Amino acid sequence: MVDEKLLNLILLCIPLSLVSFGGGQTIVASLQHQTVDVLHLLNGPQFTDLYAISRAAPGPGTLIVALIGWEVSGLWGAILATLAIFIPSSILLCILGSYWQRHRRSAWAIAAEKGLAPVAVGLIFAGVFAVAQSARFTPLELATSLGAGAVLLTTKTGPYPVLAVVGVSYFLLSLGGMA
Amino acid sequence: MDKPVGDIGMERDEDVTSLALLASFLRLGASSFGGGMAGWTHREIVERRGWLTDDEFLKTLTVAQVMPGANPVNLAVYIGLKLRGVAGACIALFGMVLPAFAVILAMSVTYQQLKSHPEAQAVLRGLACVGIASSLTMGIKTARRLHRHALPILMALAVFLMVGVMRWSLVAVVAGSIPVSVAATFWVEREKSRG
Repeated sequence: MVDEKLLNLILLCIPLSLVSFGGGQTIVASLQHQTVDVLHLLNGPQFTDLYAISRAAPGPGTLIVALIGWEVSGLWGAILATLAIFIPSSILLCILGSYWQRHRRSAWAIAAEKGLAPVAVGLIFAGVFAVAQSARFTPLELATSLGAGAVLLTTKTGPYPVLAVVGVSYFLLSLGGMA
Repeated sequence: MDKPVGDIGMERDEDVTSLALLASFLRLGASSFGGGMAGWTHREIVERRGWLTDDEFLKTLTVAQVMPGANPVNLAVYIGLKLRGVAGACIALFGMVLPAFAVILAMSVTYQQLKSHPEAQAVLRGLACVGIASSLTMGIKTARRLHRHALPILMALAVFLMVGVMRWSLVAVVAGSIPVSVAATFWVEREKSRG
C-alpha cells in the first residue's frame, strides 16, 4: 500500500504542513523543487499540469498534494498525501489555537500576526517563480499570463471566467494548429 | 473577556449534533469554488445556524489566519473544535475537504485519460497561465498590505531569493525567518507608536 515513493511524499508533506503559513500558495515552490528535482516523483511538465488542475479546481490550493499522491500511487496516494498535509497543521492549531486566542492582544502576538505577512509574500512569489521557470512559457503563454494577471488585478472578475475564456481559446488555437 | 476557548459555545453544545456539524461543513466544502470562504462560513455558522456570535467568529478567523494550514480548512477545524471538541474538529476537517477532494480526483482521472491529446495539453497550458496569474495577483495583493517600511519589504525579498532562486529548504527558511520577521515587526510597531 505504501511504497517508497509514497512514503517520501508523505514525509515531505508533514513538515510542509507545519510551516504552511498562508496556505497552499506558500508551499508550491518547495513542492515543485522537492517532487521534481530531489525526489524525482514527477517531471517538470507533469508538475505544471498538476499545478494547472489544482488552480482550476475548487477548494484549497493545498490539494495539489492529492494530485501528486494520485500520480505517485493512485487513490491511496491521494488520500494519504491529503491527510499528511492537513492533519499536522490541524493538530497544531487545536493545541496552540486557544493559547494564541488568550494572548492575542499582547504586543508580541500582534507583531506575530503582521510579521507573518512578509514571509508569506516572499513564499508566494517564490512559488510563482518556480512554476513559471519549470513551465518554460512560450511568448504566447507569457502574454496570456500577463493579460490574465492584469484582468484579475484591475477588475473584479473572479478566476473562473478567466479560466473558461483562456481554456476555450487555447482549445480553439490548438484545433487551428496555433498552440 | 479572555475566557478559555472551551467555555465559548459550551451552553449551546446540546444543539450542535455531529450530523448537523457534518452537514454544515459538507455544504461549505461543496461551495468552496472560487474563494471567499470566510464569508460563506460566517453566513452558515453565525447567521444560519447561530452556533457562534460575530465576536467569537472573528476571534476564530484570526487564529485560522495566523496558524499554518489553508485558512478555510483551519477555520473549519477550529470552529469544530470549539463546538464539539476533537470529534468536532475531525468532522469539520472531513466535511470541508471531502467535496473538493472528490472534484479534484475526478479532474485527475479526466486528465489521465485526456493527457495524450494535444488539445488537452494546450488547454492545460492555458490554465497553468491563469493559475500563475492568479497566484501572482494574490502575491501582489498581499504585498500591498505590508508596512511601507524597508524591513518587511527586505524580508519578503530575502525569503523569495532563498526559497525561489536558491532553492533552500522551505522549512529551514520559514523557521529562521519568522522569528526575525516578528521581531522586526515588533520593533517597527514600537517605533511607530513612539512617533
